[in-house]
Amino acid sequence: MLQKKSSHDVALTIGYHFTRLVMSGVFIYASIDKIIHPDLFAQAVYNYQVLPGYLVNLTALILPWLELTLGTCLLINRWMAGASALAAVLMALFVGMILFNLARGLDISCGCFSAAPDEDPVTVLTLARDILFLIFSLGLVGLMFVKNTRRVGNTHKLYP
Amino acid sequence: MLLKTYSLAPTLVWHHIGNTVRQTVFIILLSMALGAAVNLIRPDSIPFVETWSMVDKLVTEDGETLAIPLEDAADLFADNAVVFLDARTPAEYGQGHIQGAVNLPWHEVDNYFETVIMTLDTEAMIITYCDGEACSLSHDLAMFLKDLGFTRVKVLVNAWTLWKEHDLPISTPSS
Repeated sequence: MLQKKSSHDVALTIGYHFTRLVMSGVFIYASIDKIIHPDLFAQAVYNYQVLPGYLVNLTALILPWLELTLGTCLLINRWMAGASALAAVLMALFVGMILFNLARGLDISCGCFSAAPDEDPVTVLTLARDILFLIFSLGLVGLMFVKNTRRVGNTHKLYP
Repeated sequence: MLLKTYSLAPTLVWHHIGNTVRQTVFIILLSMALGAAVNLIRPDSIPFVETWSMVDKLVTEDGETLAIPLEDAADLFADNAVVFLDARTPAEYGQGHIQGAVNLPWHEVDNYFETVIMTLDTEAMIITYCDGEACSLSHDLAMFLKDLGFTRVKVLVNAWTLWKEHDLPISTPSS
């Protein structure tokens, strides 16, 4: 039996699709330049000085593909539970890295949306932007939890 | 019905957590496979594991080592035979720098072309520096100066930290 959706459900649906599309765009856009220039991105990863040397290249090779894969999942609305959880974990890691380096006073390139060492320096604005994306990702995790655990007693599917 | 709803809720939560873990692992494995496969077939691939050291990287195409040891830099400083160029931001430079160093921020090097670069002798001994073992500003600035025709350019890796640690002369706002 079809039930009419409440205005609350409509708001949740709009919020869900808006958030997943924004984060999808962020992750896919962020991955492109790093995939094209793995050598430059490896330098950016090294500059953060948080990973042992032998993990720098592996991270530079896999992280952009992780961003692209989860960005694609968010875009096509598939494997959303895993993709949203990964998005939140990655954003939390990025915020942590930026905080760590701002606290240390290192003047390095962010490596967030560009692999080039001369662009995108890490600033407080970078931190604010990533915190906003972290909030979006956590929101998506929450919405996925509500969606997947609220079926009982409700015949309609939340944000299909 | 109410009882049934509440007794089912934990099952759904566990089901959701299980799904999340499975999908997360799958996305990570897929990304690792894609990253490795593309790196194997692309012409400009990078090694999967590489030794990372700034001093090793400071080598020009001619095989010349750009890095200069702290002791040599300190000797040149004592002999007043070197110009130190601080590649950090003006704000960082303002908080403290090697005594006598000139600020030439790499991120806005074009703005300093006439006021700094044009005043330097291309034959002069120049040491560029920034801060942190991995800071690449000084390296980028050194390569830029070499391209401009400066013949004696060196990089002091992690200079600001090392210089302070060895109690070598510095200038700070309070000094």
